[in-house]
Amino acid sequence: MPRYARPSTPDEAIALLAEGGWTILAGGTDFYPAQGARPIRDDILDIGAIEALRGIREDKGDIVIGAATSWTEIVRARLPMAFDALKAAAREVGSVQIQNTGTIAGNLCNASPAADGVPALLVLDAEVELASTRGIRRLPLRDFVLGNRRTARAADELVTAIRVPTASAAGRSSFFKLGARRYLVISIAMAAVRVETDLQGRIARCAIAVGACSAVARRLERLEADLVGRPADAAALGVIGERHFDGLAPIDDVRASAVYRMEAAREIVGRALADAFGTTAGQGVAA
Amino acid sequence: MTVHIRMDDRVEADRLEDMAQGVVGKPLDRPDGARKASGTAAYAMDSLPDGACFGVLARATIAAGRLEGVDAAAVEALPGVRAVIVDERMLRNPAQGMAGKAPVQDPHEIAYFGQPVALVVAESFEQARHGAIALVLRLEARAGAVVGPDDAGVEIETPEKKQQSSGDLDAAMREAVFGVDQTYTTPVHASAAMEPHASIAQWDEDRLTLRGSYQMLRFNRAELADALGIDEKNVRILAPFVGGGFGSKLGIAPEAVAAAIAAQRLGVPVAVPMSRQQVFEGVMRRSETTQRIRLAAGADGRLTGIGHEALVSNLPGEKFSEPVTQATPFLYRGENRVIGHRIARVNRTCAGSVRAPGEAVGVTMLEIAMDELAAAAGIDPVELRLRNIPDEDPTQQIPFSSHKLAEALRSGADRFGWDRRRTEPGQVRDGEWLVGMGMASAVRVNMLVEAKARVSLSSDGHALVETDMTDIGTGTYAILTQIAAEMLGLPMDRVETRLGDTDLPPGSGSGGSFGAASNGTAVFMACEEIRRMICERFGCEAHDLTLKDGRAIAGNRSVPLAEILGGEDLVAEGHAEPGDAEDKVRQATYGSYFAEVGVNAVTGETRVRRMLGVFAAGRILNAKTARSQCLGGMTFGIGMALTEEIFHDPRDGHIVNRDFAEYHLPVNADVPQIDVVLLEERDAWANPLQAKGIGELGICGAAAAVVNAIHNATGVRVRDLPATLDKVLEGLERQGG
Ligand SMILES: Cc1cc2nc3c(=O)[nH]c(=O)nc-3n(C[C@H](O)[C@H](O)[C@H](O)COP(=O)(O)OP(=O)(O)OC[C@H]3O[C@@H](n4cnc5c(N)ncnc54)[C@H](O)[C@@H]3O)c2cc1C
Repeated sequence: MPRYARPSTPDEAIALLAEGGWTILAGGTDFYPAQGARPIRDDILDIGAIEALRGIREDKGDIVIGAATSWTEIVRARLPMAFDALKAAAREVGSVQIQNTGTIAGNLCNASPAADGVPALLVLDAEVELASTRGIRRLPLRDFVLGNRRTARAADELVTAIRVPTASAAGRSSFFKLGARRYLVISIAMAAVRVETDLQGRIARCAIAVGACSAVARRLERLEADLVGRPADAAALGVIGERHFDGLAPIDDVRASAVYRMEAAREIVGRALADAFGTTAGQGVAA
Repeated sequence: MTVHIRMDDRVEADRLEDMAQGVVGKPLDRPDGARKASGTAAYAMDSLPDGACFGVLARATIAAGRLEGVDAAAVEALPGVRAVIVDERMLRNPAQGMAGKAPVQDPHEIAYFGQPVALVVAESFEQARHGAIALVLRLEARAGAVVGPDDAGVEIETPEKKQQSSGDLDAAMREAVFGVDQTYTTPVHASAAMEPHASIAQWDEDRLTLRGSYQMLRFNRAELADALGIDEKNVRILAPFVGGGFGSKLGIAPEAVAAAIAAQRLGVPVAVPMSRQQVFEGVMRRSETTQRIRLAAGADGRLTGIGHEALVSNLPGEKFSEPVTQATPFLYRGENRVIGHRIARVNRTCAGSVRAPGEAVGVTMLEIAMDELAAAAGIDPVELRLRNIPDEDPTQQIPFSSHKLAEALRSGADRFGWDRRRTEPGQVRDGEWLVGMGMASAVRVNMLVEAKARVSLSSDGHALVETDMTDIGTGTYAILTQIAAEMLGLPMDRVETRLGDTDLPPGSGSGGSFGAASNGTAVFMACEEIRRMICERFGCEAHDLTLKDGRAIAGNRSVPLAEILGGEDLVAEGHAEPGDAEDKVRQATYGSYFAEVGVNAVTGETRVRRMLGVFAAGRILNAKTARSQCLGGMTFGIGMALTEEIFHDPRDGHIVNRDFAEYHLPVNADVPQIDVVLLEERDAWANPLQAKGIGELGICGAAAAVVNAIHNATGVRVRDLPATLDKVLEGLERQGG
């Protein structure tokens, strides 16, 4: 008979995890569908009652999002403009019911290539905070998600929070998602960008990430570098070239072909940038 | 007292026109609407009897073979589990619509992945589900299962009765000035009704009561009795509210029979709800189709020949096969014709009726071919269709009962602003969106099915309508109440309609768009008889009697009904039957669809911007519920055009996208404001109401309007539905170079 535990503090949870053999359950929106027609054999550690894991707070200037914070809570939170991409992604995770239940850490730990939260958090240079009886460590998100369904989390670790450093909570951000229908759909491709401009309106810093076009969502560092110093307007989009997408490795699947994904990625990166520049002027995705 | 009508001829008198209450045709709210909106309407799983146990079906995980046995003991030892049942009487798949007898039985023979083979019954649903997924099945896979219609070794039947030809199509094609010869494909579709299937069985000695989610109770009762080997007199089925069916609930399904067997064995009520995944895999799918369509036309666009040859699939032994070409023999002119129908026998979930079997996919593809012909001939698509409307059914050479296609085409074109459409594709740009318009004809055969209904007029002037007919969200409660209120001159709130109980007179059931007309006629006939009885008591001739607001009026007398009835109740039963009218005339409903789409030149996304449907279905009984049916049908059409597609795993045939997350029905944001126009029409050949079916007409070609609009927007012709964004983009690139 599998065991079931529902602790109310992080310490209780990590004490249990230290015993080994537990599967963590948060909102369950990835967990349950993945069970298929198999009986649940794992011991279930339900973190749904740990209040300390919920909500968003500031800590020494960093913005800290509790691991079990739901997408709806993120949508409703007052956050700097740099989080607009994350909020836009949150609004497009499944449907409202899924957003009420699904959590941010669940999205990251599930490590799906199509996880909508990942690109938006990558452009915020987010870090993942992990706790175990051995102590607390922080990993940049890009070092946390390792591959399709693979993360750097050790079996005894609990993700406790997602931290966004003060320095990265600046600028404007934008998110675009492309799917087979307008809503409640798994992404064919998605892109998040965050742009900081200087007083002359030139791009001072910029972060760009694309999801669902490789096993793990990726930052496009070369494009970021090529954009820095240019005026943040439509003309800047002219520098975007094929070479900037070299790092992507989309696959063919039922949702779309690899070729299509590659082209879509290019297009939505452009749209997201234009949106963050504030120069979309009637372009982009019509509702 | 039963009054009977058999539709052998026209019914000249338009009796409803003579009535005075003025409720038929009005866009009235459903009498059951408040209960549905407030959650008090009881669907199948809402009426659990005390002490009910739960059953969950365990299902095969091979495409074909045998169930050698199950490890029952291990599961029976689990907490709460009451029984593991494998019984010869269990169904392989649901009965086909109107079968009236059990489908293939015996879970030991496995014909598709997902076939129910055992039922685990427990005290709670969770215990039963756990038991069902823990149950180890000893399966013996059969080599050589064929899971796809194109797989090597597939057996293909060519039933002689379903082939037709006249003239010489090959010659017509050779001589044609303009021609189309293309092959089109549509994927497997799911009904995707909102309420999943569920049954609750309860025995009282040898009498079985089943609460279920079913469309055709009189047939379902016979099917259930046959499956169990009992007399149908001992079976009662209740389905007062049904959360959608679209064909998936036409025939008794495995969960009902399993529930009945379990309830009998355990001596307690047993509820068997199906999960969404089980419904996708274990109920009915619409077959995929491959359609070769040939059109031969002269210089003026007039058709000289039509060929429509379809390949569909189903399980071995199933009689039903998607009647793809159903409307092709009579929609357009053309002397030289070939109709072909082939059936591939595959080990896949059973194929059955999904909203408008036949026309939904057949007319859609024919209408895409017509668009190709219009483009080839340089004739406006509306004009091309107008030129090809035949004067009589060209295949059977019988007259049409009534025919409003031309009016639907013309008035639709007018209302939509069709004259603004650019003939050349790819001419209209709005930012990065390419904009285009498309259209298609709508057609669906019209049917009448035997139905009975009882109407009682109580001495205090209230009426009760009773039949086992169902309301599957379509509005049966509303329209039967309206017909009785109209005929008996009563306000709506003085008429009650009771449905969905086989103890009541047997109706037609919901299917094939025939429910409103068939059961409406039965109610109408009963009311005519009650009017006759009123005349007798009132001492007047039938044509002198006016009933309005609970009063009987004749000459200068106006008397409350209660006074005439003098404490007596009047009861009559109406009985409607189809007859020779079906062979004397071709009966069908017609319409037109117009769509404007934007196609994103960069991503290939298609957004339907506007859509119009113009429909003629005889007398419209309730303008609101009729319109809702059309909106729903056209939304189905958008799904068919752009997103809906079931994927079967090529290895074992299992359905990969068996939930709403991955089977892409259109969401609200995919559907624009849809405009619906219902034309004035009376069809005296149909029935005394002069009303025809409207439940399916909205999907009989709708997808073609969208796909044709994509072509007009972009020049890209998608022949294998759905027209997903990657297919459209690929097309754009091919032509853009
Ligand atoms: C209908 C539907 C639609 C969906 N649509 C989308 C979509 O559009 N976009 C999208 O990105 N996702 C989508 N999802 C997936 C899912 O909703 C999200 O990924 C969600 O954020 C997962 O969070 P959860 O709390 O439900 O995770 P759970 O299912 O509870 O857990 C997921 C995984 O993360 C692990 N985990 C959870 N929390 C922790 C923690 N604190 N520490 C360590 N491990 C942890 C679990 O062990 C499990 O392996 C959809 C799901 C459904 C059912």
